[in-house]
Amino acid sequence: MTRLVVGLAAVPAAVLAVVLVPAAPASAHPLGNFSVNEYLGLTLSADRVEASAVVDIAEIPTLQDRSDVDGDGDGSASDTERYSYAATTCADLAAGVDGRAGGQRLVWTVERAEFAYSPGTGGLEVSRLGCWLTAPAALDAPTEVRVDNRYLADRVGWREMTATGVGLRLVDSTVPSHSVSEGLRRYPEDLLASALNVRSATIRVEPGAGTGVEDSAAVLSGGGDPLSRWMAAVDRRFQGLAGGTLTPLVGLLAVLLAILLGAGHAALPGHGKTILAAYLAGRRGRPRDALTVAGTVTLTHTGGVLALGLLLTAGTAVAGEEILGWLGLASGALVVAVGVTMLAGLLRRRGRGQHDHLAGHHHTHSHDHDHDRDHLGHDSNTHEQGRRRSGRLGLAGIGLAGGLVPSPSALVVLLAAIGLGRTGFGVLLVIAYGAGMAATLTGAGLILLELQRRMTGAALATGAGPGGLITGLARLTARLHTATPVATAGLVLLVGAGLAARAATGVF
Amino acid sequence: MRRSIGTPLRVGAVAAATALALVLLGGVLGRAPEEPQVAAEPVAVTPVDRLEQTIQRSQERLRRVPGDWHTWASLGMAYLERARITADPTYYPKAEAAVRRSLAVKPDGNTDALVAQGALANARHDFAAARRVALAAVKTNGYHADAYAVLADAETQLGHSADATAAVQRLLDLRPGLSAYARASYDLEQRGLTDQASDLMRRALATAVDRHDMAFCRNQLGDLALNAGDLAAADAEYAAGLAAEPSSVALQRGRARVAAMSGRTDEALSAYASLTRRAPTPSYLIEYAELLRSAGREADAMAQLRLATAAHKLFTGNGGVDGLTGAALAAATGQPATALREARAEWARRKHADVADMLAWALHLSNRDIDSLAYARRASATGARSAIYAYHLGMIELSLGDRAAAKQHLTMALEINPHFSPLDAPAARQALANLGSS
Repeated sequence: MTRLVVGLAAVPAAVLAVVLVPAAPASAHPLGNFSVNEYLGLTLSADRVEASAVVDIAEIPTLQDRSDVDGDGDGSASDTERYSYAATTCADLAAGVDGRAGGQRLVWTVERAEFAYSPGTGGLEVSRLGCWLTAPAALDAPTEVRVDNRYLADRVGWREMTATGVGLRLVDSTVPSHSVSEGLRRYPEDLLASALNVRSATIRVEPGAGTGVEDSAAVLSGGGDPLSRWMAAVDRRFQGLAGGTLTPLVGLLAVLLAILLGAGHAALPGHGKTILAAYLAGRRGRPRDALTVAGTVTLTHTGGVLALGLLLTAGTAVAGEEILGWLGLASGALVVAVGVTMLAGLLRRRGRGQHDHLAGHHHTHSHDHDHDRDHLGHDSNTHEQGRRRSGRLGLAGIGLAGGLVPSPSALVVLLAAIGLGRTGFGVLLVIAYGAGMAATLTGAGLILLELQRRMTGAALATGAGPGGLITGLARLTARLHTATPVATAGLVLLVGAGLAARAATGVF
Repeated sequence: MRRSIGTPLRVGAVAAATALALVLLGGVLGRAPEEPQVAAEPVAVTPVDRLEQTIQRSQERLRRVPGDWHTWASLGMAYLERARITADPTYYPKAEAAVRRSLAVKPDGNTDALVAQGALANARHDFAAARRVALAAVKTNGYHADAYAVLADAETQLGHSADATAAVQRLLDLRPGLSAYARASYDLEQRGLTDQASDLMRRALATAVDRHDMAFCRNQLGDLALNAGDLAAADAEYAAGLAAEPSSVALQRGRARVAAMSGRTDEALSAYASLTRRAPTPSYLIEYAELLRSAGREADAMAQLRLATAAHKLFTGNGGVDGLTGAALAAATGQPATALREARAEWARRKHADVADMLAWALHLSNRDIDSLAYARRASATGARSAIYAYHLGMIELSLGDRAAAKQHLTMALEINPHFSPLDAPAARQALANLGSS
């Protein structure tokens, strides 16, 4: 007999035994042949809450309830039997629907009850229960209404709620006004949506005209602004390219698209552009600095994507998303570190009493891009060198932070290429992607610097210039510069903390 | 002048910025755990549900990047997991569609999708297909632990015990964790090494962090104790499992079985009534009917069996294949010919000990005891400590007139578990009494 040898290391596993579990019945009812599906539609008016409930019962539970419906046990459900069953069951349902209006419990009355069979699959029947409930409520003043559906809560099935107002306004509702299943008649077949499971609704009402209410139930669409949507579309095209047949033209197009996509990707929020801007502004950066950051971003990003791609294809059990989360955290921490370093440097220099040179008039005097010599006049040689080194380190840190989190689309392209045995092509695309990112970031940095230079120039021309607005603006920026290094450091710190915190919520 | 104003200003700005950053950080970190994933769903669900998080994240990602076959495959796997936990079959077609999408994007060398496809086939009891797919997955990636998990399940159910053990061993080597321990435990149980099986399942439990996983391990531990007749230990395991996952149907069924075996019939009946409402699967309904019958409620038992028949018919009508359940159902409703046909068909598909046992019993019910003996012996020869195998063997031997062997095996059945079945345990006792008196 073979003996099992059990190792000692323990790694949590994702998959569990499927043995010893009842076989999976293929479904007859769209939601499975033993589902009990419930819909509760609320209508709120000044003096009452009405609830129309529908329970759509699949084949097996319908059969299970058959003997309860057939009171006299003669094998058929007469109209009288169905009517009395509907009345009792709707009373049960009303007891399970827990409603409150401004702290006052809603006491339901069953206005009407219906129960009907219809043919299902396998020669079996399905059934449908309809209950119309009403409860008095004083909604003529701003009130909060909360309804919890606890009827047959342990059954598998769809749970849906809607709310509309008649003669009053629903200010804030956690449920939509229209049923996506048309009252349990047509279940949406979205592969990327779980069965609806809405069991409670909270609605704030205000007296006022109009029955309409904005559908506040979060319907996830393709993502917010047009830029993101456009990017997503290009993303999909791009991923298609890595997998299609490779001709020289297609390859060229793919590389161009990768550059474009990288550029667009860098234009989306993130990638430390805020920090880059703040840093450049605070440090009175040079074009070279913008290049440093962009270069670091590109190198880090390309390297990161390649490393992660190889790691993932190595077939380990590493969850890609988790890694992305941790990298995000590291990136945030890095930015915080840069911010702290900036602050520490400032404080140290303030101790030596030379901050005013750095922040004040110095800048307004020089737009000749030759800061270094200027500085040498004031500062000791070694100190200046140290400051520049720390400045370059800070820039590299920001670049590193910006590129540390690989863009998922670049990663997917790389993985696709590796999977198709086109690793080289994939690497090329990732590099092109990085180059695109670098272009955008450098461009942004240069524009920023140019803008800053102009502002400063306008500030110099203060007395003479006729443009009052520009003069004022220039004076404002000049004044801002006084506090800039500190504000910059603070901003960098803040953004870093925000990035880290956002990543942390994903990881933990 | 400027210096004297600027310094406090700057110090103030630093302080304010730092404070704000800290507050923001604290706020974000502090808020995260208590913020539910879906705002409109404050249901009675305990907070940590990794599966739910995985599903939502995958769904969102695929909405943005529909070509990500890795995520399609893992979404399929997650849907499958959800179907298993909630016993909600809606998710099987969804899982299948997700796996198909993954394969459509990347038809070759897509190990993840193959593994999910195999797991789906296992869940649908199409073990031969699961084995085929798992072998293909292993061929594309020999280091994919989940591929060996699927392979192990398929080989086990097909009765290829040596291959199953090899697959489990490979899984243990590649990723010694919950899924490996759980399967190794089942493998040991199949060979009658119940103590070692319990030890391993405890080790699996120690690695479990998700509440569904904990519930699964507790349920297996409970079943191991229950099958050995240790009702108190079994009850403790089920109770501990329900503390982690109160809505688990499997654990509720465990407690119902403990109640039934302890003679608390009313409690057991009401537990079965409630759990068969939630999960009206043929096997639970057959158990419920058996209990009703032992309590003398024949008419109610028949009603539950009719329900089980309807559920099974729906399953087979939709292309599902499960001869074991079909045979058990036919045997319980007094249709020995159907039981035999179903058992034979299942035996042709797979040579698992449970199927051998069912086929032996179906032959016995058709008065073909000479044929049945070989199958009953084959089931017992696996070494599994099963009271029901021993009981069936003993009764067949009794029919054949081998009184000594019958006495030995009936005694063994009651030794393994004195309460193994509400109907069969008393029957075994009765038979033994007759053997002793004559």
